[in-house]
Amino acid sequence: MSDTTAAVAAKAPAKKGGAGLNIAIGASAVVTAIGIALWAVQMSGGMVQTAMRNLDSWGLYITSFMFFVGLSAGGLIISSVPKAFGLKGFGGISKVAVMTSIAATVAAIGLVVVDMGQPFRVWELFVYSNLGSPLMWDIIVLMVYLILSCVYLWAQIAAEKGKVSHAALRVISVVALVCAVTVHSVTAWIFGLQQSHEMWHTALLAPWFVSSALVCGTGLVICAAVALRAAGYLTWEQADLVKLAKLLAVFLLVDLYFFGCDLLTEGFPAASGAEIVAMLVSGPLAPFFWGEVVLSVLAVVICVVPSLRTTPMMVAAGLFAIAAIFCKRVQLLVGGFQVPNLDYPAAMTPFTVTDWQGNMATAYQGLVYWPTPLEFGIALGVVALGFLVFFLGLKLLPLKPADEQ
Amino acid sequence: MADKKLVMLVDTKRCIGCNSCAVACKIENNLPKNIWWNRIMTVGGDNLDSPEGEYPNLKMHNITVACQHCENPACVKVCPVGATYKDPETGVVRQDYDKCIGCRMCMSACPYTGVRNFNWEEPAYHLDFAVGDADVAPHEKHTVEKCTFCWHRLAKGLQPACVEVCSARARHFGDANDPDSAVSAILRTRSHEQLLPDEGTDPNVYFLV
Repeated sequence: MSDTTAAVAAKAPAKKGGAGLNIAIGASAVVTAIGIALWAVQMSGGMVQTAMRNLDSWGLYITSFMFFVGLSAGGLIISSVPKAFGLKGFGGISKVAVMTSIAATVAAIGLVVVDMGQPFRVWELFVYSNLGSPLMWDIIVLMVYLILSCVYLWAQIAAEKGKVSHAALRVISVVALVCAVTVHSVTAWIFGLQQSHEMWHTALLAPWFVSSALVCGTGLVICAAVALRAAGYLTWEQADLVKLAKLLAVFLLVDLYFFGCDLLTEGFPAASGAEIVAMLVSGPLAPFFWGEVVLSVLAVVICVVPSLRTTPMMVAAGLFAIAAIFCKRVQLLVGGFQVPNLDYPAAMTPFTVTDWQGNMATAYQGLVYWPTPLEFGIALGVVALGFLVFFLGLKLLPLKPADEQ
Repeated sequence: MADKKLVMLVDTKRCIGCNSCAVACKIENNLPKNIWWNRIMTVGGDNLDSPEGEYPNLKMHNITVACQHCENPACVKVCPVGATYKDPETGVVRQDYDKCIGCRMCMSACPYTGVRNFNWEEPAYHLDFAVGDADVAPHEKHTVEKCTFCWHRLAKGLQPACVEVCSARARHFGDANDPDSAVSAILRTRSHEQLLPDEGTDPNVYFLV
């Protein structure tokens, strides 16, 4: 089956671009523009139009930020590990994979910007940098990561033309790999170094972010590469897809293992951490907890049972993996705010908490935070920006495997 | 030790939960609608001013919660631009509205959630003229603000507004590094607690119990 697809693609090589790609670029540009317009609404009318409030001061934007930083991992790591260690890679998808990283990183940075109350003061980050702040670390590492991804992509293209030596490419891939691990650890530390949120304050968070990033990043590369193969953009061996699917299963199992370790450590003393476990397993966050577990297990099953490893099923596994990690990001963010440190009743105003009209107990009965349509719209706009960057990359850059150009 | 360590003492045995301190704070600092730097919490019941337990075995007491001006503030560490910082001479945790980028990292890092307020919209007021002290920094949309220990009053040698107004005389304010100060004398003789001591933030607000 794979061979037929590959053969068809080879026989009818799509023009660089093609009508489909142009439509995709146009559509994502339109959605991005709508997102920017909605952002202008948020800025002029105030962030009171979001569901974020003093007691749950971060929401969909930071959830998606975590998620997109994770998505950016897969491409770069899948592309750089084989080169860094001199292993056989995953076929001709290396450059496309890095392009997904660049697009996801752009989206992640965009999500931080729309979350800021004073985006025009962003220059202060570089003038008044407090180098002790994990947020500052993350901004620095994200910038480096974005630049490095671009350099790495350029180096791969140049190496194919013989302008960059393979030794140099290998050095760049090692640096890129280190940077990829750093970016996930530092993003985890924005949360993990805060003693005030029991759910976040664990040393496991950084390695766990790396494993989650590998899960959804690999899922994204699988989906993107299969889609591009189906569209005739590139040829890709089915064996490489299967290899990637097996790798996805390993990453998923590691991620689930970390989850189990964390739940046991939180819950076993039957002290305050038990509240966190209950909140996840049977409380307001249960749909996202069980969603993650079920989707992860399904994806693992698809990836390890040979008869299930058909192309559509492996794409489904990739999508399940991505959705599972999104569920995890929701658990982390909302879960962090779901258990208040001071739950004594006090006067509530529309700024106190999302559902402020009852008392503290009713505010925390269900999910303490749920986004408003405006937030969904703006987040969608930023995601579309990521897609736009990816599609523009496909159109303008030589991302096909070298032997096909 | 030449520097001051300004502390606030709140006598929970005297506090009657009248909310005067919260209102005085609101007026003194010309706080916008929906913003309260100082809130009175009812310890015990499910609702504001509701007692704990079954009649006739009821009990109720209050704590007033504003910025704890911690010795080891979580907010100061995480602010990426240093908009929130600890004044080295007094230990007061300060907030520079003009510098704040509105990332809300401090709100998330602070264990005493709710003491940091974000202006979720253009500050609106109940009155069409400003109230309180003219030296209070103007409130800014999309920035974080909180109790300043009435910084503008300290500069004039005055006590914070909430201390001045407390009808039960439950509040005391002064320099804990000065052994002859009233607060030092009280801290030597009365047993006291800090809020959420396990967080390791070492607040400079003490509750006398």
